[in-house]
Order: sequence, then C-alpha cells, then structure tokens
Amino acid sequence: MTTASTGPATLTATDLSLRFGGTRALDGVSLRLTRGVTGLLGPNGAGKTTLLRVLATAVPPDGGAFTALGHDPGTAAGRLALRRTLGYLPQTPGFHPEFTAFEFVDYVAILKELTDRGARLREVRRVLEAVDLSEVRGTRIKRLSGGMRQRVALAAALVGEPGFLVLDEPTVGLDPEQRMRFRELIAQAGEGRTVLLSTHQTEDVAMLCHRVVVLARGRVHFEGTPADLTARAAGRVWSSTERDPNALAGWRTGTGSFRNIGDPPTGAELLEPTLEDGYLLTLDGESAEVTA
Amino acid sequence: MSTTTPTITEPAAPLTEPPREGHRAKAVLALARFETRELLQQIPVLFFFALYVVLIALRLMSKDGMDDFPVLNTVDRRTQATPLLFALALFICANAAALRSRKHGTVQQFGVLTMEPWRRTLAHVLSVIPYAGLTALAVAAEYTREALKPGAIGHGSFGELVVGPLSVLLAGVTGVLLARLLPSSFVPILFVIAVYVLGVLVSGLIDVRQEWVGWLDPIQFFSSSGGDPVPSDLLGRPAGWHALYVTGLCAVLACVALLVAGGRTRAVKAATALALAATAAGVIGQFPGDTSALDAARRTASDSPAKVQSCTTHDGSTYCSFPEWAGVRDDWAEVVDRVRSGAGGTAAKGGLTVRQRVYTDSGVEIDGAIDPSTTPGEVTVGTRWGGNRVPEFAVGVATVLVAGSEDVTTEPMCDARAVTIMWLVLGQDPTPTATFRNVRLDDRTTGSGVVLAPTNGLSLSGPQTTVVRELLDRPRAEMTARVKAHWTELTSARTTTAQAAKLLGVEVPKEADRCGE
Repeated sequence: MTTASTGPATLTATDLSLRFGGTRALDGVSLRLTRGVTGLLGPNGAGKTTLLRVLATAVPPDGGAFTALGHDPGTAAGRLALRRTLGYLPQTPGFHPEFTAFEFVDYVAILKELTDRGARLREVRRVLEAVDLSEVRGTRIKRLSGGMRQRVALAAALVGEPGFLVLDEPTVGLDPEQRMRFRELIAQAGEGRTVLLSTHQTEDVAMLCHRVVVLARGRVHFEGTPADLTARAAGRVWSSTERDPNALAGWRTGTGSFRNIGDPPTGAELLEPTLEDGYLLTLDGESAEVTA
Repeated sequence: MSTTTPTITEPAAPLTEPPREGHRAKAVLALARFETRELLQQIPVLFFFALYVVLIALRLMSKDGMDDFPVLNTVDRRTQATPLLFALALFICANAAALRSRKHGTVQQFGVLTMEPWRRTLAHVLSVIPYAGLTALAVAAEYTREALKPGAIGHGSFGELVVGPLSVLLAGVTGVLLARLLPSSFVPILFVIAVYVLGVLVSGLIDVRQEWVGWLDPIQFFSSSGGDPVPSDLLGRPAGWHALYVTGLCAVLACVALLVAGGRTRAVKAATALALAATAAGVIGQFPGDTSALDAARRTASDSPAKVQSCTTHDGSTYCSFPEWAGVRDDWAEVVDRVRSGAGGTAAKGGLTVRQRVYTDSGVEIDGAIDPSTTPGEVTVGTRWGGNRVPEFAVGVATVLVAGSEDVTTEPMCDARAVTIMWLVLGQDPTPTATFRNVRLDDRTTGSGVVLAPTNGLSLSGPQTTVVRELLDRPRAEMTARVKAHWTELTSARTTTAQAAKLLGVEVPKEADRCGE
C-alpha cells in the first residue's frame, strides 16, 4: 500500500470496522488524510458511504478508532468538538422544500450553533455567494433545479467554515457544466481544509485530488497520490485490434481499436496509462471486469 | 450557470475547547426563534389566530345592553374556550415542525450537526411559548376592555385568565411530544379524535361540572346553563390550583419530550421532578376537601343575603348588594326614582328596600327562579344588569310600589293594578313600545302575555294590554297626572281593568277581562 502524503495528518483512522447484520461494510480500514482534497474511489457496495458516515460521526464504528483535527469522536466531548468543525454532504441530501435557500442554510448554521446572529447571517450570505446562489437565496427550495439544490447542500456543508469536509458523491446527477462548476467549488474548499470526496468519477479525482484512497469490499486497496495510482498501470495497458481474452478488462475505443488492461502479451503496443487504468488494476480482476 | 469565480475562504482554526453551556443555550434560543417564525408562516396558525382575534373583536363590539355591565368573574372564564381552535392549529403545526426532518430525510445529515436532538426538541417547545404569549395578550386585551367599562362588576381571577394561554401552550407542547413518541403525520389527527371520544365518554359517565375529577381536564369549558352570576367567593372554583396543574402538565410533557429525545441531563431530570411536583400539587389543590364552608356561604347568600351584603341609602330607599355589585346601586336608584316619579299617594315618597338575591339551591349559575320576596317594600334585583334586566327590575319596583310586596305576583292580578304597574314601568320610558315588547316574554304588544320581572313574572290579560297601549298613545304628562290623581283606586284590587280605563279616560276594552289565560 502506498502511504505517500503531503503535510501533517489531519485525520488518522486505524482498523475501522462496521457490520450491518451479516455484512461486513468496513473491514479494518486504516487511512491517513492531510489538508487538501482526498478522493475516495470504489465500486458500488465498496463501503464508501459507510466509511464517510463513520468519519462524519453519523454512525460509530464497531471496532477501530479515528481522530480528526485532533478530536477523538469516541468520547462525547471529542465528538461534539469534531462536529463543530465538520461539514457533511451526504449522498442524497434532504431538503426542507418550503424553506428558502437562505432559510435552509441559516437553519443548518443554527444547528451548527453559530449564535452571533449578525455573524451567522453574514456567514450564510457568504457561503451562498460562494456557491453562486445569492440571486436565488429567497427562492423556496422546491422551486430550485437539482443542480441548485446540490449547491444549497454544499453551502450548508460549508457554513461555519468547517475544517473537515466530507462529501459523498456530490457530482452525481449533475450535467457536465454543473459538474465542472462543482469541481471549482470543491477545489476552492480544499484550500486549507481536509476534504474527503467520495466519487465514482476518476476524472473528479484526477482533476481535484492530491491524494486518493481506493476502497473495495470494505478494505483499503490503495492510498496515495493520483500519480502513484496511475503509475500502477504503467506497462499494463495496451492496444489491439481485437479484445485480448487474457486482459482483465478491455473495451473498444473511439478509434476502433481495443484498449486492454492486465498483463500485456509480448510485443504488445503499450499505451500511456490513465488514473482509471490504475484504479481498475487496483481492484481485483472480478471487480475490474465488472467495473469495465 | 453564472461564470463568476467562486470564493471559499480558508477555514478558521478548529476550536479546541468545548463550547460553554451559555453559548449552547443561545443556540437553542436562536433555533426557537427560527421555529417560531416558521410557525407564523403556517396557514392554519395564521388563520385560526386571525379567527380568534375576530371572535374577540365581535364579542367586544356586541351591542347587547347587558354587555355594558360585564360580570368579570364570568368574563375571565369566557376567555378560556375561545382560543381552542387556535390551540388545535398550533398542536398540528408544532407536531409537523418537529417531524420536519424525518419527513424530508434530513435526519442523517442533521444528525452530525452540533446541536443534539434533545436541544432541538427544547427549541420546538420554546417556539410555541410566544403563541401562548400572544394568546395572553389577546386575553388581557379582552379582559381589560371589559374591566374598563364603567359598568364592570366585580373582579376576575388570574388563575382563570391564564388557562386560555396555557391551553395554547399545552397544545403546542403536546404536538412536540407526540412527534417524539409517535413520529407519524397521522398521529395528531388520531390523537384529536381520541381525545374528543374520551371527553364524550367521560362526560357521559360523570358530571364534570360537579365532580372533582372533571378538573383533571386541562380545559374547563365555560358553558352557561342560563343561570345568573354569583359573587366570586361562592364559585368554589380552584382556579389558582388549576392554573398550577396545567402549568405543571405543560412542563411535564415538555420534559418527557426532552427525555425521549435523549436529553437525560441532570437539569432535565431535575426539571421533570419539579414539574411533576407542581402538577401533583395542582391536582391535590383542586381536590375540594371539606365543602361545608362553601355550602354554608352559598346558603347564606341565598337565604339570608342581608348577612353578607352592604347597603347604601338614596332618597329614602335602601340598596343592598353583594360587595362586588356596589357600583351598580346608583343605576338601580335611577330606575327606582324614574318609576316612583309616576306614582301617587304615599308610594311617591315612601322608601323601598332593593335587595340583591341569588339562586344557589341546585348549585351556582344554575338556571332557577328566585321566589318573590315576602317582605313588604322589598324589591328583588338579580346579579345581571343592563339590557332587558333594567325594565324587568322596573316591573319589580312598580309591583312593590303598587301592591306593597312582590309576592302578589304569585296569583294573576285581574284588576287595575296590573295596568298601573305597567304604566309606571313604561310611562317615563323614552322608548315605551319597544320596552313593552322586550319586557314581555312573547315579544308582542297585543293580547295576553307574561311580563318578565326579577322574580315571578306579571300576567297581563288582553284587555289590560289594550289599556296599557292606549295609555301610551296619550300625552304622557296628562296620563301621569291622572294616575296620580286616581292612585288609590288604581292600586286597589277591587278596581277592574274597565274601571281603570274609564278613570284614566281611555277607551274601555270591549272583550271580557279573562285573567290567567
């Protein structure tokens, strides 16, 4: 496992595990986050959302422990302290449709115990401006588009200047323009904060993250920089006119040739690897095939 | 999508010290203010509060003559049931507000925010207090408006006045508690139906007006059974204890909601114990215990009112009332003077005793007839004043001036006296025909009928009615002079109605004077 990092650790998790009935959702997850955006990649059912919920203190782990920003959520005081500096955007955020965008974020700000009314209202205006919703802040959420609602949820996560942001697939369902816009916002948010971004999109990781964690079947399969993940595929991606039956995965590209990953045959025409190639190779063969 | 560049500032340094409790309390208050504002935007809350205010305004603008003389110990109770629809709306909306997160799937994301669920529950509880405050303002406005009327009688009870606002508070708190106990949007409706059915069943089993257990119902519906008010000390209502009971109940329900939401702190547990103690004290305080003193006081007020009344003398007549009614003695005196001004003989100068009396034989404020006084020269007056009670009292005064005592009305007066009594009542009245109609039970000015009085009514035959109407068509001064001139004959039981008509110079009725019809 790669353990390269930049800067001091802001979150350290050791051997986190969590079961749901007979399913082991997390199976000894250990990781280390630093300031900046860390991507969390993994196939469906890998345990990404569960890990994020544990780190966001929404659910306690069955085993293991973690500290974030110096707080131990295993204690009531530590959990409270962590929550005071936490921003959490769940996979499918809920909204109070009758609230305006401003009211919703203000409501969250109150629940974050920002008690100075003037400062709180300024902060709400600031985050709404940051996500470019100032003009619709008085509009009821039920009248906003899906992309706008997602930005309201991000604003709610950002309010109070949290030091630790947990974002669970925030770009799902957004059109390319909205996704690009979100990437800008997340990149900005990652300046000076610890951001953990769960995503299916390797593009998101490539464009945003200084570190990446690959999770599958509740276990960490990779932790390092995106470049390290990409490097895992060096010499293991090749082109062919037919799909290579020995490849872990292969698909026809826009040029008509096949892009194969796995162990190339002798004399194969090797291609420049991408982050996605590294990600697929990091998963076991079965998962890679499914994902491919 | 806009192309402006987003700017997200760097986060502040993470807080390393836990927040102070005062800071957290401020956050709860901030949330309570937010929720109060949200409730204000709910249509049921707005509509039913507006309806409540309109009902109060309509009641205050009522032109019924008796409203000029409000008895404040009934006004205070009248304020209790009026806000119930508003309370119901608040119950539904407070419940919906407390269920909002569950309904819209924000429980998970808000679950990791700093403020714990029990503090949010506390904010919901606090958010309904301003509505109880608004109700208190409306109650205070209504009561003050009535109390400031020149004819206001007696005094109200603070314990009775706070029940309306407390019922609103109780409804809101119950809504929050139900949201925590049974988090479903159907529950409030089922709860209201269950409470209604339970209320009907309980009231079918016991008379809640009489039984102590009836006081466990937080809201005491004031349903007048037509009886007249009584002095405050005869009511026997444990208003203060009941207010304490309802206050305690509000606090208990609020504390249970906090405990259910996870707020098992020492402060909440202590508050729960205190609230339970207050509720228990209220329940025990409401227990009637030994009622012999109250029963004796009611008997005295009914049978020997002179023992508990004070009197004033005006122009030779004595006016005795229960202390709270001292302010209306002058109004009684005005009526006595006016009626007496039409009388002749010794009646024009002789003094009367006006005695206020109440009926308490079957309980207080129960509709029941007061027997005519057998004391010569004594006129009965009730505890309502204004409107129709004024000419009714005038009938009593005229009866005593003409016949010597009220008990003559136990038998029909088939003679001139009934005509003379009605002339004294109506002869000096500015709107005699309207008053004649109003004071008769059948609201007519023809034929036989019963004329209302504080005790027994006065039976009036058809010919007597005809003569009275004829008299009213003649010049008042001339008729007054004739009545005075023939006073002895007109107040004699041996003078017939026909003879009276002749003496007064009006047409003699053709029909036979059949009394008692």
